[in-house]
Amino acid sequence: MKKVFVVCATGIATSTMLRVKIEKFLAANQVEAQIYQYRVTELSPSRLDADAIVATTSIPDELHIVPVVNGLPLLTGVGEQEALQELLSVLKQSNKEG
Amino acid sequence: MEAFLETIGNFLNSVGPLLALPVIVAVLGIILGQKWDSAIRSGLLTAIAFVGIFLTVGLLGSTLSTIGSAFAERTGTGLDVIDIGWPAASALAFGTPVGNVIIPIGIVLNIILLLIGLTQTLDIDLWNFWHMAFVGAIVQFITGSFAMGLFAAAATLVIALFLADWSAPLIQKHFKIPGISIPHLQSAGYMMLALPFALIVDRISFLKNLRLDPDTIRKRLGLLGEPMVLGFIIGLILGLLAGQGVQDALLTAVNTGAVMLLVPRMVAILMEGLTPVSEAARNFMTSRFAGRKFFIGLDSAVLIGNPGVIAAGLLMVPVEILLALALAPLGNRTLPFIDLADGPFVAAMLAPLVFGDVLLTVILGAIVMGIGLIFTTLLAPAVTNMVTTSGVSVDIPSGYATYTVMSDAAIPTSYGLYYLFQTPQVVAIIVTLAFIVLLYFIKTRFPLGEKLIKPPEEGNGD
Repeated sequence: MKKVFVVCATGIATSTMLRVKIEKFLAANQVEAQIYQYRVTELSPSRLDADAIVATTSIPDELHIVPVVNGLPLLTGVGEQEALQELLSVLKQSNKEG
Repeated sequence: MEAFLETIGNFLNSVGPLLALPVIVAVLGIILGQKWDSAIRSGLLTAIAFVGIFLTVGLLGSTLSTIGSAFAERTGTGLDVIDIGWPAASALAFGTPVGNVIIPIGIVLNIILLLIGLTQTLDIDLWNFWHMAFVGAIVQFITGSFAMGLFAAAATLVIALFLADWSAPLIQKHFKIPGISIPHLQSAGYMMLALPFALIVDRISFLKNLRLDPDTIRKRLGLLGEPMVLGFIIGLILGLLAGQGVQDALLTAVNTGAVMLLVPRMVAILMEGLTPVSEAARNFMTSRFAGRKFFIGLDSAVLIGNPGVIAAGLLMVPVEILLALALAPLGNRTLPFIDLADGPFVAAMLAPLVFGDVLLTVILGAIVMGIGLIFTTLLAPAVTNMVTTSGVSVDIPSGYATYTVMSDAAIPTSYGLYYLFQTPQVVAIIVTLAFIVLLYFIKTRFPLGEKLIKPPEEGNGD
């Protein structure tokens, strides 16, 4: 089971749009993943046990210990497939147990 | 025409948000090409979100109304108007008659403006049409006319689009997001008011030299970035100041923390219901403009990860509380609460006006919110009406404890149109249109980041 954090400024609005899309995409690609929504100000490096972060906003430097995929294309539709493929390859490369 | 609109408005009002909006969402989804089963699911999620929102806003009301009034009495501050916060307000605004129809009307209006070349922004952020619905709702409250509410909502959308066009060059440079503009009033509306002040504070070199470090602030105040912790702390302080014992104050604190966490969760369900519709609408709109050059209009949330914005947003928490207390003698009765968590939205588009300087951003934020707090108090009757007529099951004891929305009632378009529409309708309409024409002139002649507020040359900036 992979863990994906979707992050935006509120943990409500744009991150929900991301979560809905990512859930659909990962299910279609047979990737089992648990998706959590956060607001960017809630994240701290010590609690960052995700395989990937997808964010609609920029992510502070100290959180880049986990691969970060730019989620803006999922909102605008421009480059959407590329972003989803990037997430897929990040998740495939991540070999965390569990 | 007007009578016809009033009939629609009355009908939507009698059906109520729990039934009207879900049906509209499902039908709109199908029209825009969503599959029928997914459209029905969207509609149902919308209805369920409203059930959750009513429950949690009820909890907020019952927790805060007693404590708020006890606090106001004991401390003599008089802060007895409760801030229900934008998450609840957004849902309630979509639930009003104007809110029920704002999405289709907004899409059509935006497309027309793009086609005739008056705007360059295609606003795919349908969620934030709720700000227009909010203005529509309070104008409908003050005029009693659904048609006037719709007109005010439409005017607000045009203003939002023009503000997006106007600020686009600056925003794109400052945040390095080419092709994007921000027709989001919860940030752009504040920017409009802050601009003249920005031109002044930017000249005060003593302030500019006091550089605050965003990273230190984020480390020191990081806990305030988590709404449930913020809610707990504020609840505890309020409880103790209101004269509760430690155990009762802790219970109040847990409840206020719960409200901070739960209300937004319910709104996320509404968002989940609207996402496929919004996606269908985006595809519908972008496919009609393929090959044309336009900015994609997004939520200012996309700006907020910027460290300077987060730092200024966190500093806004104590600043807003102090402002509320300091302005009490001048007429403020708003007790800041849920919207304290959204300081970064205040900061998001003020920061580029001062090139990211944290202290100057907070100063601008304090000016805008200081003016805003007086109006959030004055707009409380309209917001309270929106809450009580929506179906939220909370008994507001008469004589005290009314509701407001600190973020949205403090936006100049909200209070500007609210007061404008207390004049004769003809005057209100003419002044609104004149303002829109003026804004069009300003945005084409003085684009921000090019003619006004020119960022420092590459290399010697931050």
